[in-house]
Amino acid sequence: MKRSALRGLLISDFNLGNLSGYLSNDPSQPEIQCELGPYGLVAEALLDSDLPCWKPVPDFLIVWTRPEAVLSSVRHVLDGFTAKEGLITQEVNRYSEAIAACSQSVKTIFVPTWNIPTIHFGQGLLDLAQGAGVSRCVMHANMQLLRDLDTVPNTFVLNASKWIELVGEGAFSERLWYLAKIPFAHAVFKAAGQDIKAALRGIRGEARKLVVLDLDDVLWGGIVGEIGWQNIILGGHDSIGEAFVDFQRALKSLRQRGVLLAIASKNEEAVAWEAFKKHPEMILREGDFAAWRINWKDKAQNIADIAAELSLGLDAVVFIDDNQIERDRVRQALPEILVPDWPLDRRLYVRSLYSLDCFQQAFMTDEDRLRAEMYSHERARKNSRAYASSLDEWLQTLQLRVKVEPLGDSNLPRATQLLNKTNQMNLSTRRLTEKEFRSWATEAGHHTWVFYVSDRFGDSGLTGILSIEADGNRARIVDFVLSCRVIGRKVEETILHCAVEWARRSRIRSVVASYSETPRNAPCRAFFQKSGLITRKKDQFAWDADHAYQLPSAITLVSSMDGAPFEVFLEPRAVEVTRIGHEGLGPFDSN
Amino acid sequence: MKPSRENITDVVFSSIDELNEMLGSNQRLEKSLHSRLLGQPNGLDSLGFINLVILIEEKYFERFGYRIVLTQTSDKRLEGAAFESVGNLVKFIDSSCPS
Repeated sequence: MKRSALRGLLISDFNLGNLSGYLSNDPSQPEIQCELGPYGLVAEALLDSDLPCWKPVPDFLIVWTRPEAVLSSVRHVLDGFTAKEGLITQEVNRYSEAIAACSQSVKTIFVPTWNIPTIHFGQGLLDLAQGAGVSRCVMHANMQLLRDLDTVPNTFVLNASKWIELVGEGAFSERLWYLAKIPFAHAVFKAAGQDIKAALRGIRGEARKLVVLDLDDVLWGGIVGEIGWQNIILGGHDSIGEAFVDFQRALKSLRQRGVLLAIASKNEEAVAWEAFKKHPEMILREGDFAAWRINWKDKAQNIADIAAELSLGLDAVVFIDDNQIERDRVRQALPEILVPDWPLDRRLYVRSLYSLDCFQQAFMTDEDRLRAEMYSHERARKNSRAYASSLDEWLQTLQLRVKVEPLGDSNLPRATQLLNKTNQMNLSTRRLTEKEFRSWATEAGHHTWVFYVSDRFGDSGLTGILSIEADGNRARIVDFVLSCRVIGRKVEETILHCAVEWARRSRIRSVVASYSETPRNAPCRAFFQKSGLITRKKDQFAWDADHAYQLPSAITLVSSMDGAPFEVFLEPRAVEVTRIGHEGLGPFDSN
Repeated sequence: MKPSRENITDVVFSSIDELNEMLGSNQRLEKSLHSRLLGQPNGLDSLGFINLVILIEEKYFERFGYRIVLTQTSDKRLEGAAFESVGNLVKFIDSSCPS
């Protein structure tokens, strides 16, 4: 499904035309159309939403300024005077407040950090001195900016120093500045544009989620099947060996951020695992990998199998291999997979991994940190399936437990992430920011619950969302979202049970659901078609709430309140609590 | 050694490529010596023109190791036909280069 172009508003005291050009022309997704705010009028543009540039309201806002233009204290220090840090703090506070005010209306805000041109670095020892140091002054301003904007929703401070360092000596351009009021060289804006696009993809849940790795000459040097684990190049007093260790560390840090690791390697499986187990300098171990195919089959097929096993789309996968023939084969067979060119010099592996701008995340939840472990539990779960004679018997052995609670401040970040990432079991495929989701959920007649799933193998965390729009005698299911990690374990039926129970207790006569087709959510349609709900017309489903919808016998349903049955959140009083939350007493406690 | 006119043309064309990465599809400059540089029809706007000139200055330095300055308004020749077309600009750079 092609999405429409995002509209970005760029506000600055300098000419951001070049950034606008790069953002609009970059062929990568998402497509962007840019509007420039009134030149030089930063405060006015931020505070006056009646200006034409705010109509229609943009999807995202970039506020990029020079510190000396928006902070008089910095200008003062550049002119050779001193400035008290308290004064800088006050000025930054005012600037941040103006940005925070915009966060009420715009979905996403990017604020690059402040930098000063290198021509001002001539202060020597005074550069970092209290009061008079230019660099110190800007550092203080940036730290205060971070502190101020930490709590502003959907607002992200971007590290502009990174773009400047990437470009190096010519990053600041005096000629562009004096001729066109453009302080930076073209390459700085190009780097900024790429970073901003990657950030937008991350916010929209389009980050890559899985790295599939070759083994020989990728995780270690040499062919383990030929030289044995004792002789592979890994660690030791060897520049290449150290580089392989660092590369494994970098991969492990990605895993800590929730990116899954897998192996697709042409090797004898037992030989490969022996190396992981026995080599003393191995950083990655078997438990770090969510899936693997270590065999002599076609790698493209193996990677497709791994993605299917992990219920991930191919567009969530990155494949790293030192062998150009294998890379070309996978590119040709599976074009959705990102297959980066890979350097011959092993010492550049870490740099190559970090230069991939496909793993951006807007925030990190507990689920992200535990995702790799959850997949390990899933493997054990699937293995246990082999010993059960039927699906029901297997589900009974799992000791499935589903916990339900209303959407609230504590679960909103993860729920928003799930809403935006879930493709397959997703009824309407709404994509909302935290602020939009929160705002929708607190409107009168709207009710939203989240579901946590666990069993004897482990905790899958927050993996389901149900939202309902009540209108007279009808409850319309708006969001019916379930993570692919728990599909097919009767959690779908459990969520429907909750929807119908809530309707019954609210004296609503029918529950309806309207399926909205996307290229990826056919499993959701298939579930509703066999769910027992009546199909009224194509993709319109209904249940008469005079009748209960049975809770699957294998499921234990509980509420998040200690000792309380799950029904506590389905009582009409609970509906009031959800709605009162709008006023600050319910699940949303900070409104 | 003084760069040949062919080398200078290469530098200008590669600068046009880079410039076009920033321009909308209906604003892009065709890579031809006959392309009009400034004004209507099909010429660059002032920001596009400045970007192109700076790109040429930078690429010239990268390629040949010494700087040319096309943006000194005191050079009277710039008020003439030098910036009318890509071809004229190439000739101007060629005539400005030290032998």
